[in-house]
Amino acid sequence: MKNWFKLISLIAVIMTGALLIYGTHDMPAWGDPDSPANSHVSPRYILEATKLTATPNMVSAVLADYRSYDTLGESAVIFTASISCLFLLRRIRREKKGEEV
Amino acid sequence: MLEYILAKYNYWIYIVLMMIGLYAMMGKRNLVKKLIGMNIFQTSIILFFVSRGVKKGGATVPILMGDGHGHGEQLIQVADYLNPLPHVLMLTAIVVSIATTGVALATLILIYKRYHTLEEDEIMAIRKEASAYKTLGT
Repeated sequence: MKNWFKLISLIAVIMTGALLIYGTHDMPAWGDPDSPANSHVSPRYILEATKLTATPNMVSAVLADYRSYDTLGESAVIFTASISCLFLLRRIRREKKGEEV
Repeated sequence: MLEYILAKYNYWIYIVLMMIGLYAMMGKRNLVKKLIGMNIFQTSIILFFVSRGVKKGGATVPILMGDGHGHGEQLIQVADYLNPLPHVLMLTAIVVSIATTGVALATLILIYKRYHTLEEDEIMAIRKEASAYKTLGT
């Protein structure tokens, strides 16, 4: 029963991997400077980020200036995760205290 | 043929990594191993995106050469710098993966406190037993 489930998941994983490897046939070659990812919006960032934001590091210019709402949402994610960790682990501490009393 | 393999082998490596993570999430019964599988999956996606930003032909990290105040910098060429966009997106993805890992580990601590095991089938057996008792009681 258990090995049967493992076999099923192994077959599913191999089929998904084969499908993905078949899909790489259409992907641009590694390191291609004219690939879609490197040619649509990123030249604008490279050419104008330093001029517009006065930051020599383009990664931080994009992170904190062009996409600052993205970074705001990211900090909301960290905040939510830390709050939920706090509540999950505080219950344990309270239970421990109850055991001692 | 060799050229084709050299152009595509990095995708294949990331797909293999991703499938290792997917199999760990599906086939393993220990919850910590499932979590490790999820982390491997996320790492493969991060590697994939970072490799999309690579440009062949002498491109360097996307930090402007010169002192950054307009001195000593030449005309900026797009081909001289790596694509900064995937790096930015993967910074966000790393943060999200840290957050999910933290919450998952906290949840695993709670599961262990309650069931005293992290094996999925043992937890399901305990739950089935408990629900059988409950139906007997009523």
